Amino acid sequence: MTISLQNIRKSFGSFVAVNDVSLTIPTGELVALLGPSGSGKTTLLRAIAGLETPDSGSVQLDGKDVARLSVARRGIGFVFQHYALFRHMTIFENVAFGLRVQTGKNKSSRREIRERVEELLQLVQLDSYAKMYPDQLSGGQRQRVALARALAVRPEVLLLDEPFSALDAKVRKDLRDWLRRIHDELHVTTILVTHDQEEALEVADRIAILHRGALLQEGTPQAIYEHPNSPFVYNFLGNVNLFHGRLLAEFTQSDESSDISKSAESSIGFVRPYELEISRELPADAHAVLATVAQIHAVGPVVRVDLKVAGNTQPLTTELARSRYNELDLKLGDKLFVYPSALRVFHDRLAVNEFFVQGAGI
Amino acid sequence: MNLFRRFNSKIASTLVHPGRSFLILLTLAVIFVFLILPLLVVFTEAFAQGWKVYKSAILQPDTVAALHLTLLVVSIAVPLNVLFGIAASWAITRFDFHGKNLLLTLIDIPLAVSPVVAGMMYVEVFGLHGWLGDWLSLHNLHVIYAVPGIVLATVFVTFPFVARELIPFMQAQGSDEEIAAVALGARGFSIFWRVTLPNIKWALLYGTILAAARSVGEFGAVSVVSGHVRGRTTTLPLQVEMLYNEYSFTEAFAVASLLTLAAVFTLAIKTFIEITTERRADRNVSGEDR
Repeated sequence: MTISLQNIRKSFGSFVAVNDVSLTIPTGELVALLGPSGSGKTTLLRAIAGLETPDSGSVQLDGKDVARLSVARRGIGFVFQHYALFRHMTIFENVAFGLRVQTGKNKSSRREIRERVEELLQLVQLDSYAKMYPDQLSGGQRQRVALARALAVRPEVLLLDEPFSALDAKVRKDLRDWLRRIHDELHVTTILVTHDQEEALEVADRIAILHRGALLQEGTPQAIYEHPNSPFVYNFLGNVNLFHGRLLAEFTQSDESSDISKSAESSIGFVRPYELEISRELPADAHAVLATVAQIHAVGPVVRVDLKVAGNTQPLTTELARSRYNELDLKLGDKLFVYPSALRVFHDRLAVNEFFVQGAGI
Repeated sequence: MNLFRRFNSKIASTLVHPGRSFLILLTLAVIFVFLILPLLVVFTEAFAQGWKVYKSAILQPDTVAALHLTLLVVSIAVPLNVLFGIAASWAITRFDFHGKNLLLTLIDIPLAVSPVVAGMMYVEVFGLHGWLGDWLSLHNLHVIYAVPGIVLATVFVTFPFVARELIPFMQAQGSDEEIAAVALGARGFSIFWRVTLPNIKWALLYGTILAAARSVGEFGAVSVVSGHVRGRTTTLPLQVEMLYNEYSFTEAFAVASLLTLAAVFTLAIKTFIEITTERRADRNVSGEDR
């Protein structure tokens, strides 16, 4: 089922939760609505489900406006952040619930219900837990039950509201892979709301990034990661080094785009840690600055090095492969040349200002 | 409760116990003198002249009529109370509206007002010379000094019991499960019946039992509106008073023993519910830990 949102707007009192968002979600895709808390992503999801009524704009499912359709008739499955399992029912009854409350010609027989529930419990690998109660299960298991419960009525759209955020890191990662496998198996159009960029980048076919109720950018994970269209998106998708003022001017001298040096005050340069190169000799083809090694985090396959540049309060962070690190033989206090292999400059004074007002979370 | 117990054991292990035995003994002594002893007196007085006298005192037609009236009042007042309690707590915990806090305060009024005053209010409204008196006598309806008045007074006095049990409980539980039920296609009554009611059943039962106990024992408000017509508008507590005032002590205590037994029975059920819900809470806690 294709979901199409047109100019959705929703405010709570004076707080504008969703501000004029239009977005189309193609059939069978897994789309992540990504944004920090308060960005309006959950409100948008609830508007699609019918749990929230937009102030204006329309929600269309397969081209049909569903404003007048109740939640029950939209054919959606909803998974909540805190599972919201029925605590007084067994796992079996939880999954069967949606089938049991069906009325009229859709009503399933007892046998159909039993078969469907058993099939779903197998899908989520919890068939031996059918007789247990939710409070006897771990968080990850409960969320799998919640997913099975949502899938029981064969929804055409699956809506997941931060489904993994209450779980610890390891379980979260497992469930993420597992969700992707289930999606590949069932091809239900799925919207995943998350504030975790890693989760969105890894699991989704497409990502829509929301910030303060507005849709900033939409596209495949790769496109968004490689071509962020705003300072906010750039920063939100991963660690980043910021350059402004003198340092930016220094790095971009050779570009001969004189407007950068002129407007360096209002521009910011962005470089991801792994795009920041270091070497002991002054490179011939790049504009490098001298820096001092301030900290080394050498745990894991990638080594993180913090560098101090004279006159810059924020240290620069660079990530390098362990082999390169060994080759350079770095020690605290070493003096090195640092230069970016890729640099993205945003000139938009407005976007930049907004970025700093936000504090950018670094 | 569970938390409380853990906290207790912590206190015991980290503090020395000055005055431990003294405080426990003092509490026990006070309870014995003010609670156990009077209770024993009720039963010894009731059986002072033997089982036969006790039996005939209880089987007196007036007493049997009083028992019937009391049961009738309870069977009307308690269901009304349950209905109102569920409606009020649902409205307060699931919806946002203006005047919510005012409503919460209003629910508590019967606990703050003396039952005698409650009874007088009803006399003032429904009595022969009350606001509705002319209209009622025109239609030959009797409220005051009749059964409807007794029911009204009892309902007023027990008004807050169920609601006050349910509101904090439903607030703590939140509406997540109900929203999930909506998303799964359930509607109105089906949600209440399948999701809400099973979750609140123990709290509801607890409130109902408190309301029932109070309905059985209510004296002040009922006394004002009843008129004390022997065998017709006399409930058990009123019957006890009347017998006592007539110096029929053995009969009075015999009837009082019935009320006491009802109270003991209530306490037993209440304790049972507390133990059951505590066990459920324990199971929940151990579930969270995993």
